[in-house]
Amino acid sequence: MRRRDFLYGLGPTLGTVAFNSMVQADAKAPSPLAPKPAHHATKAKACIFLFMEGGPSHIDTFDPKPKLSELHMKEFARQDKFASAMASGKRYFVKSPFKFRKAGKSGIEVCENFEHLAKVIDELCIYRGCQAESIDHPTACYHMNTGNRFGGDPAVGAWATYGLGTLNQNLPGYVVLPEGAFPQGGSANWSNGFLPAYFQGTPLRPAGSPILDLRPPAEVTRVEQRSNLDLLTKLNVADLKRQPQPGDLAARMEAYELAFRMQAEVPSLLDIEKEDAKTKEMYGIGQPDTDSFGRRCLLARKLVAAGVRYVQLFEGGWDSHDYIERSHKARIRTVDKPIAALITDLKRQGLLDSTVVVWTGEFGRSPDNGVRGGDNVAGRDHNAKAMSMWFAGGGVKAGHVIGGTDDIGNIATDVVHPLKDLHVTLLHLLGLEDAKLTFFHEGRYKQLSQTGGELIKEVLA
Amino acid sequence: MSLALMLALAASPVDGEKLFLERVYPVMKDKCFACHGDDPKKVRGKLDMRTRKALIEGGDSGTPSLMPGDPEGSPLYIAVTRKDDELVMPPKDNDKLSGPQVDAIRDWILAGAPWPADADKRAVKKWDDVGPAGVTVATSGGRSADWTERKYLPADIWAYQPIRKPAVPSGAAHPIDSFVRAKLKDKGITRVAPPAERRTLLRRATIDLTGLPPTEKDDGAAFETVIDRLLASPRYGEQWARHWLDVSRYADTSGFANDYERPNAWRYRDYVVRSFNADKPYDRFVLEQVAGDEIDPADPEMLIATGFLRMGPWEHTAMTVAAVTRQQFLDDVTHHVGVTLLGQGLRCAQCHDHKFDPIPTRDYYGIQAVFGSTQFADRTAPFVPAENVASLAAGKENTQLRLGEVRRRKQVINARQEVAVAAFLKARGVEKITDIPLAERDNAGQLGLTKDDLTLRKLLNQQDEYLSRELLRYEAFAFSVYAGPLREYTSKKVLNEMPGKMVGTVPVVHILPNGSIESPADAVVPGVLSAVSGALAYKVPDTTAGRRLAFARWVASRENTLTARVIVNRVWQYHFGRGLVATANNFGKMGGKPTHPELLDWLATWLMDNGWSLKKLHKLIMTSATYQQGGVHPDLAKLREIDARNELNAYFTPRRMEAEEVRDGMLAVTGELSPERGGPGVFPEINWEVALQPRHVMGAVAPSYQPSRTPDERNRRTLYTYRYRTLNDPLLEVFNRPGSDISCERRDETTVTPQVFGLFNSEYVHDRALALAIALQGKPRPVAEAFQRAYGRAPTVDEGRAAAAHVTKMTKHHQAHPAKPRPVPKTVKRNMVEEMTGENIVWEETLDLMDGYERDKKAWDVGPQTRALADLCLVLFNSNEFLYVR
Repeated sequence: MRRRDFLYGLGPTLGTVAFNSMVQADAKAPSPLAPKPAHHATKAKACIFLFMEGGPSHIDTFDPKPKLSELHMKEFARQDKFASAMASGKRYFVKSPFKFRKAGKSGIEVCENFEHLAKVIDELCIYRGCQAESIDHPTACYHMNTGNRFGGDPAVGAWATYGLGTLNQNLPGYVVLPEGAFPQGGSANWSNGFLPAYFQGTPLRPAGSPILDLRPPAEVTRVEQRSNLDLLTKLNVADLKRQPQPGDLAARMEAYELAFRMQAEVPSLLDIEKEDAKTKEMYGIGQPDTDSFGRRCLLARKLVAAGVRYVQLFEGGWDSHDYIERSHKARIRTVDKPIAALITDLKRQGLLDSTVVVWTGEFGRSPDNGVRGGDNVAGRDHNAKAMSMWFAGGGVKAGHVIGGTDDIGNIATDVVHPLKDLHVTLLHLLGLEDAKLTFFHEGRYKQLSQTGGELIKEVLA
Repeated sequence: MSLALMLALAASPVDGEKLFLERVYPVMKDKCFACHGDDPKKVRGKLDMRTRKALIEGGDSGTPSLMPGDPEGSPLYIAVTRKDDELVMPPKDNDKLSGPQVDAIRDWILAGAPWPADADKRAVKKWDDVGPAGVTVATSGGRSADWTERKYLPADIWAYQPIRKPAVPSGAAHPIDSFVRAKLKDKGITRVAPPAERRTLLRRATIDLTGLPPTEKDDGAAFETVIDRLLASPRYGEQWARHWLDVSRYADTSGFANDYERPNAWRYRDYVVRSFNADKPYDRFVLEQVAGDEIDPADPEMLIATGFLRMGPWEHTAMTVAAVTRQQFLDDVTHHVGVTLLGQGLRCAQCHDHKFDPIPTRDYYGIQAVFGSTQFADRTAPFVPAENVASLAAGKENTQLRLGEVRRRKQVINARQEVAVAAFLKARGVEKITDIPLAERDNAGQLGLTKDDLTLRKLLNQQDEYLSRELLRYEAFAFSVYAGPLREYTSKKVLNEMPGKMVGTVPVVHILPNGSIESPADAVVPGVLSAVSGALAYKVPDTTAGRRLAFARWVASRENTLTARVIVNRVWQYHFGRGLVATANNFGKMGGKPTHPELLDWLATWLMDNGWSLKKLHKLIMTSATYQQGGVHPDLAKLREIDARNELNAYFTPRRMEAEEVRDGMLAVTGELSPERGGPGVFPEINWEVALQPRHVMGAVAPSYQPSRTPDERNRRTLYTYRYRTLNDPLLEVFNRPGSDISCERRDETTVTPQVFGLFNSEYVHDRALALAIALQGKPRPVAEAFQRAYGRAPTVDEGRAAAAHVTKMTKHHQAHPAKPRPVPKTVKRNMVEEMTGENIVWEETLDLMDGYERDKKAWDVGPQTRALADLCLVLFNSNEFLYVR
């Protein structure tokens, strides 16, 4: 295959995309998705971002707060008038319904419902110091996924592929694996924003055709399509002779040939049925609680192995305002086994070192609740000031807990960083510097962190 | 350092201390101290730059950062020169020091790096890094004297200077050609493309003005007559409204968590179409959109127009704080009024005085104060005769049908519960539930229901709410505003009418340093952009009503140096692919500089002199030889050496059709396009997987996307299709239709492989190809006719032969491969994770509108020959000649 044959970028834009991309007018510039050197040497080449939409409770997963057992159902007076509309009405402390245990050699404390994850806990770096800004889902999701609370900006994965290109030109560089339903805010969560369209996240579908319209309607045979393609080429070649105009019309023609090949090749590349039974079992595929997320975790591993730069999984349902015990229990059961398998599998395949895995929601949850129906149905509300996330893989300080929150888990107190510092750190792990990774738009050089941020050095190996 | 330079410096001794106080210290304070000293807890690299001693001691590296007398030995100097990849400061390219600033640091170090102890007090920032050509700009004043007094290069503030009407250079009959040729000559370009052939020009003009390819036979009319006809076509307003809606961010939904419908937003879309078709003077168009309600609240059209102010994504729910969401609106409207009308984004001045442009943060909040009394309302506004009310009944019927089905299903669940409750009461021997003490009611709210029932009921309640909101589409409300005191308003409430009484006060707007509402600074009064020539004296009242009207009058005045230039530039851009200023939304320092400043000003004046008539402006532009030239330059290689991007218009830059033009173009060629105008959004068929893909809305999923029932409804122009913020038609998206969250100044034109999937593989395009084939069936020369329709010309001999052979071959193929029918989906399995249980719930949803759905013709409905002809049509739709405007 020639160098020009790449999936998502066929030469530069025809009409010139943005002010600074116009500097180069030569139509033979390399693909925007061709691999590019990192800003600095780094272990991780790819990222798997496990996004837990809804806001998992740090208090009930990775940040135990025994103090809440003492305070359970005692009243809690909130002060923060701009933080949330929930700060009105009577509030009560809520203890965690879960027990915690020390796991691994590192002895990291983790909710005991994470049975499988506990076995790979030494690969994780738990971070408890991050603070979001938004208290409602869509703005917090946009913030986590794009750096801008109001949407419209490029997603982290778009920035990463913009900075690094991607290694497999037959697959999108930035792949999104949503659950059955698209998240709140929809595709703006994986938008290319003001970056050129090459960098947009491509959702791969859990069922049906993995890429939208990868195949023509069922009655169209391959012979028919080849024949159509031949006629198209004939017409386009004749046209090109009459109109030898600037702009990369030839690129359009090559796109058709590539698309034709992809139809045959991509489905098998993504086919998880070919994996052995043991692997599928490990990911929980075929078991009702874990099948859907397990499939996506396995697919994520295959995509990263195939050279995709950035894979983002969405798994919602963490918004447990009520019934936190049963709902978080079920959510943990859904993700626990697949994630443990992912980490084990990446390691087994020698990919963990070259991949950074991130697990996080858009914010944490409150130590208190309005208690709408008595303590047996208690849940937790949103909390932007404290949350837990973890990293694993290349460049990460595995087996450590970094940062901390106050004794009720209400606010981060140790190694505190705003969300944008997570973005700076994530880019750093991938070999990119936020301050250098800029794009000119609306009169200024924009960057993922919006106005610059700091590294969270403590989570780096 | 070179010897010559040393000698030169020795010859003119530098006053190191003066240099430091005026040109070095202020730069360090501005660019370095934030990370190197100001916050003692976070000193990067442990290098404190606030004192000479600390700089000499150095930071983490352990070596001195400053070596007085030796710039090349001072990491401080090396870093700002950015020559060493390992040592670059400030880190962000955008913050790099200018040449004169770097030189000042070098000269200061050479002079021994003197640093008086009271430097912080004595330092006076001289913004002379712009050099001797720098000028100050009078504004309402920055937060610091330094900012207020800073200097700008005249070239960076051109847009704030008065518009002058320059003399037309000699050399051509048409003024535009005179300006363009003069510039070409200036740059040494002597050859331009010959005029386009008539067929090409007609196609170009028709697509530019109407968004559709020509379908009528050329009657040989003079080109001017053709322009007049196109401008008089109702399709003109549709095409140019589309451009304006890109800029103003039109959508039928509100975005964010619920992506709630804005049931009356379509009336604003149609208002824009009407305005273009009526050739409403542009200054009037501006006034109406910003302050129509203050011009004449009794005129429904004026209330509809102000929907413009609310086009951004916005929602306020039970989770959000009213003061915070209110501020979101204020910030959104302030920035976007700047972007859309003034070509000057204002967001940069939200947190601080503008870094590049003469916009103090005071102006940002002054303009925000203009909107301080702007409140949202769904205002009663009777339909005007031009509105499409005829389509309302059918739409309403569909909504009611869906709502009925949702309520019926809810009733099934509720009935089951009633039976269970009755049994429970009977067993307890009581009549009503309140006869039982609270603690013993045994979860009666869920009696008889499974977990799935509970989730389903929640979903159905949500869908009931969505569909009830949808019913408002057909009612005479305007998505509008009024001037009044702060009101309570939530997105959750389906209808927010005008309050009966105006209660409360209009909040005073304060400067919010760093954009934080928690720490307001100075109060401000309503104002305008003070840097614009003549604006400093302009007064906006701070009464409740009248603020916006006064502001709008300033925007729409002849004296405003931005408004006319901005709109002229937009119109030019949509005709030529790029504006005279390449960044249509940014006329500031960081935007593109005008390639033809005299022409821009001449056109701006001409527009104002001609009653701000955009139709006249189109005609002026299109009658120029510059517009009418061909798309192929005779000596492209040489031209590229001088003007690689064709900024000087030595030939006409071809462009790919925009997403809507691709879809509408196919419908026009097949003859399916419905001429119906306006009305609530319609629902074409989109990729079924995307249509049926569940979308999370707060706690539930939104109702599924169902296409409109009849082809006539589905085959409306793309402009009239319903525009979600969280659901895109993938076919349009791959052809670079932008999202509605940020203002789109110009469409991207990327070539990506998913376009092939959309255009060559999608069922939608296959259906269009078949529709064309069916229309050609029985014609005497169907193959030739296919070319005629798609390209506006007969095939060449070679093309005709190849196409005919293809059809013959494919006919045989289809005879051997009959198509197997695929039923329309009538139900869909959907799933979501229930928050209450954390479990995945699967349910089946009926696609109500699929009953009696009039489907497009499919491959199995026609014979092999028609299918073969459709193969040819599909190829034509995918070919470059169809997709490009040349």
